[in-house]
Amino acid sequence: MTTMSPREIISRAISEGRFKLLEHEAYSIANYYGIPTPRAVLVKTPEEARDYADKVGYPLVAKIVSPDITHKSDVGGVKLFINSREEAYNAVKEILENVSNRAPGARIEGVIIYRMAPPGLEVIVGGIRDDVFGPTVMFGLGGIFVEVMRDVSFRIYPITIEDALEMINEIRSSAILNGYRGQPPVDKYALADIIVKTSKLLAENEEIEAVDLNPVIAYQQGAIAVDVRVILRHSGKQH
Amino acid sequence: MVSLSKFFNPQSVAIIGATPKEGKVGRAILENFIAKFKGRIYPVNPNYDEILGLKCYRKIRDIPEPPDLAVIAIPAPSVPEALIELGEKGNRAVVIISGGFRETGTKEGAELEDRIVKIAREYGMRIIGPNCIGIFDNWSGVDTFFTTKMRKPPKGHVAFISQSGAFATALMDWMAYHGIGVSRAISYGNKVDVDDVDLLEFLGDDDKTRVILMYIEGLKPSRGRLFIEVAKKVSMKKPIVVYKAGKTGRGSRAAASHTAALAGDYSVYKAAFKQAGIIEVDSFDEMMDVVRVFLDQPLMKGDRVYIVTDAGGVGVMLTDALTSVGFEVPLTPPDLREKLRSMLPPHCIVDNPIDLTGDTDDERYVRVLEVLSKRSDVDAIVVVALPQVPGIKGVFVDYIAKIKEESGKPVLALTIGSEYSIETSKKLQERGVTVFESPERLARALKALRTYSLYISRHLK
Repeated sequence: MTTMSPREIISRAISEGRFKLLEHEAYSIANYYGIPTPRAVLVKTPEEARDYADKVGYPLVAKIVSPDITHKSDVGGVKLFINSREEAYNAVKEILENVSNRAPGARIEGVIIYRMAPPGLEVIVGGIRDDVFGPTVMFGLGGIFVEVMRDVSFRIYPITIEDALEMINEIRSSAILNGYRGQPPVDKYALADIIVKTSKLLAENEEIEAVDLNPVIAYQQGAIAVDVRVILRHSGKQH
Repeated sequence: MVSLSKFFNPQSVAIIGATPKEGKVGRAILENFIAKFKGRIYPVNPNYDEILGLKCYRKIRDIPEPPDLAVIAIPAPSVPEALIELGEKGNRAVVIISGGFRETGTKEGAELEDRIVKIAREYGMRIIGPNCIGIFDNWSGVDTFFTTKMRKPPKGHVAFISQSGAFATALMDWMAYHGIGVSRAISYGNKVDVDDVDLLEFLGDDDKTRVILMYIEGLKPSRGRLFIEVAKKVSMKKPIVVYKAGKTGRGSRAAASHTAALAGDYSVYKAAFKQAGIIEVDSFDEMMDVVRVFLDQPLMKGDRVYIVTDAGGVGVMLTDALTSVGFEVPLTPPDLREKLRSMLPPHCIVDNPIDLTGDTDDERYVRVLEVLSKRSDVDAIVVVALPQVPGIKGVFVDYIAKIKEESGKPVLALTIGSEYSIETSKKLQERGVTVFESPERLARALKALRTYSLYISRHLK
């Protein structure tokens, strides 16, 4: 995986005129701040995929990485439930072929392979840069709780672990985090830790406009940001 | 930075645009100062040698000293020149009442505003306004509230920062009517310089102010972090009560991300208030209820509320209201139950709400309150005193007040009714017992006190 610093990643994206970081770049920045993500590798060839598959762990996901492709599934750029080295080889081969057929001319960074996270409780951690208050982090439960109920809470940087725990307990549906229908309670401390780190990520990187960790999957112990989106400010936009 | 004290405690004031003409802003302001301000007053107007018995200066440079404070009430186009003259004179604190700047939405207005900001920076002047009603200070007599058809509230300890001038005026009038004392009120209009953050900091250190009330529509961009920082410090010294207007958010925010789409303006403000220990209120009623409770009541150390009532029904209403905002109305523990049993007639109910029933006299209240006030498992007491029952003579009023002083616990009262009730209520309020008519409003106001108390105890280290 890339070992570039957040600064280098961001400068490179800006110099290439990209305002949304690529998956592996976003993961890399999250990891830099200690936000857990699936272990991921960016491979260029089917052979590389075969070599790294065991190390990443199964089941695997493979996804095309390209600044020019927004809807990856539509161009055959996503494969799920890959369970062996050979399957990894074939999946990446197929993805590269699909993309060159259906999105000719798209810039291809490679294919990201990462281990699918085991099921757990899906939550959302989002970070924005508010005009008045600066870096601000949102927390909510995934799915209808955010989409329909808009059941979310906010805190402004600097955020302490206590603030973050308070914001987790503040949402109306917080009882779900304590376990329901035989589900174990989830690790609120791990979520609070991700919230604090997300606020820091925003505070220390002025060029970042927003971060969406959606979903973060929470377990009885630990939590992992499965999808990380980092959006940069458009140059010239004043705040 | 020049401290704001020159605005609130000046030794001298120049009123640019003072006039003897009835119905003019410059006349109303001059009259305000003549009535209450103890320092030196310098009316400035090129057309007069004397106004309302005071020597009038034709030019700012003719004033015999640099005035601590200047109030400008002249047409907008003449303001920049007046500012320069004031700057040259050595004045560093200006309230610009005049409108006609950025609020007009015109290019000329905006340019004029930019010019005055530039001039103020050059001279290191602080500005309140423009387009504002400025300052009403009950202790120093600085009063630029030029609205004449209003009463001014008595001297007291509530400070008010308002983004709306008209609301500030109306609230002062309302507080005057309800006898709630005010320390200082400020409305900053276009706030080109002095803003919520500066004022909060000043009022935080002001020993005449015990509760700070704010009406906010929006803070200036990028001032949010400092606002939280300052409010955190001030909250530890005195409660800040905020009414945030414009809660419905701006639909126009470009939704750069999922989170941004969900945020809107208000959710972030709400978070800010919480983090800073600010008590947010949702209505005008709640705003004034909470202010009254903060003025008179000590901090509340726990969630357990005991109710002493002469009306069973109101006791139940209160129990519902209190529990629905998160309070406990605990069952009377065995030792207390035994004690109350031994001192009350058998038909009285000793379970909380403790019901002294309709044949009660003052004496019963006094004895029960005596017992409750000394217990460490009682965090607040609400006395329901419906005055319609024949046995009550009213002497318990003094007693309730005394218990409140001595116990160090919040003691509130509830009365419902006409003249008798209002009379009881007045007497109690005068002695620092906050009185409500509505059980629900009492519960919410007490909840604000509890929220603030919790914030303080969590942050006292």
